[in-house]
Amino acid sequence: MARIIVVTSGKGGVGKTTSSASFSTGLALRGHKTAVLDFDVGLRNLDLIMGCERRVVYDLVNVVNGEATLNQALIKDKHCDNLFILPASQTRDKDALSEDGIERVLNELVKMDFEFIICDSPAGIEHGALMALTFADEALIVTNPEVSSVRDSDRILGIIQAKSRRAQTGGEPVKEHLLITRYSPKRVENDEMLSYQDVQEILRIPLIGIIPESESVLHASNQGNPAIHFKGTDVAEAYEDVVARFLGEERPLRFTNYEKPGLLQRLFGTK
Amino acid sequence: MSKSPSSLPIEIKISTVVAISAILHSSDPIAIDAALKQMTGGVSDFFEDEFAVIDVGAIAAGATYIDWRALVDLLKKYRLNAVAVRGATADMIDAIKARGLALDDGAGGDRAREDVAAASAAVTIAPAQASAPAPAPQPVQAPAPHTVALPAMIVDTPVRAGQRVYARGCDLIITAAVNNGAEIIADGSIHVYAPMHGRALAGASGNADSRIFGLSLQPELVSIAGVYRTFDDGFPAELARQPAQIRLVGDRIDISSLTSHR
Repeated sequence: MARIIVVTSGKGGVGKTTSSASFSTGLALRGHKTAVLDFDVGLRNLDLIMGCERRVVYDLVNVVNGEATLNQALIKDKHCDNLFILPASQTRDKDALSEDGIERVLNELVKMDFEFIICDSPAGIEHGALMALTFADEALIVTNPEVSSVRDSDRILGIIQAKSRRAQTGGEPVKEHLLITRYSPKRVENDEMLSYQDVQEILRIPLIGIIPESESVLHASNQGNPAIHFKGTDVAEAYEDVVARFLGEERPLRFTNYEKPGLLQRLFGTK
Repeated sequence: MSKSPSSLPIEIKISTVVAISAILHSSDPIAIDAALKQMTGGVSDFFEDEFAVIDVGAIAAGATYIDWRALVDLLKKYRLNAVAVRGATADMIDAIKARGLALDDGAGGDRAREDVAAASAAVTIAPAQASAPAPAPQPVQAPAPHTVALPAMIVDTPVRAGQRVYARGCDLIITAAVNNGAEIIADGSIHVYAPMHGRALAGASGNADSRIFGLSLQPELVSIAGVYRTFDDGFPAELARQPAQIRLVGDRIDISSLTSHR
């Protein structure tokens, strides 16, 4: 049974697209047929981060409007055979997405035997974000350990509870997962940042992972490769943990403690 | 804080009243009369001049003719004041308006409460005191002697930023967190058994005896019967994050600890 997962946050710039790219790549690397859809019509970024912007011919809006078939629009990932990207349109605006159209596209993806369909939501709580979450079975709530991001995540959780198809039809509620990104144990230690416990205390949904703040995310975006491909970096390992937990494995939380650089770290280094 | 009484000849405020739903399963006045007679057991003040919303949703589809005048008079005989009609079809609207009744499209977000009110009024109760019907229209303060209070509205999921919960005509009990940016409102008292942030408004229809109780309070704003207090400089530190209650003393919002026993 296909699972539709929305990656959302309310607030912009917290790492939705980075997380969508790495999460979908991680699922595909483990052999699951995965599609990742960019709902940020007008501001498309996913294709950049996935490094396929030069192969974009058709996009989500074309498929929704029936101007192209899904097979024409889906772009096969350059690293994984079972990962496909459906980019957003650069030239249209978010109102171009209709609920019926999205439903049709998602149903078609399900028929094509995709196991996981990842919907990368735009920021905000307007039409585009609603369209991304409407048909979700599960939600990854991407949150930075910072009050305004937490507040916006709280807001989007409320919207998922009210506006998703599952909520509207009285079905089983959308399964929510908290993904904390840009976490800096050092700044938490210095009281400059909320701890993950603080965030969880407010949002009260299960934590699926913590992605540490790292320069490797920027390198990854610039190169057009999802961060999870950068083997050995803490970010890649953290995303691998997220994927493992999502698939039901137990993994201990990592990258949450700040250790003052000691002899061992100086010898072996972490970067 | 509280506003002084205005000297204007009219003041407009939002107020919430509780009405009984009279759900019709028949449009025959004789049958309805018989059912009401049986329900009230001949007690003349079974209903105490309460407001009633006539719900014709169940029979409207059958396009039955309804004699609104007879219906309103009939309800009046049992001391029910029809004020509005719910579930009317388009062709009924003119006749309804001609009788001075309002149309209620039932778009309220408080379905749970209404269902309770509707249920208790719709159930055919055995004569006499088996159970009282839905609440009397809460005349500010004085609790009506003959009515059993509506059961409290209970919420077990977190109330999140941007969400609003309203317990109409009853107490509100929340067992999960209330977050900043959320709004919880009750005509009665509010009880929160988890950290409470956000805005809490008790006694929303004017009951000054309503209170707010919480295990761990840190609200942005509290209000009782329209008297409010904000916490721009933060909730009083000695009372924050611990069991406390908030009530109205005179026209002042008073916060007191529930742990430091007198």
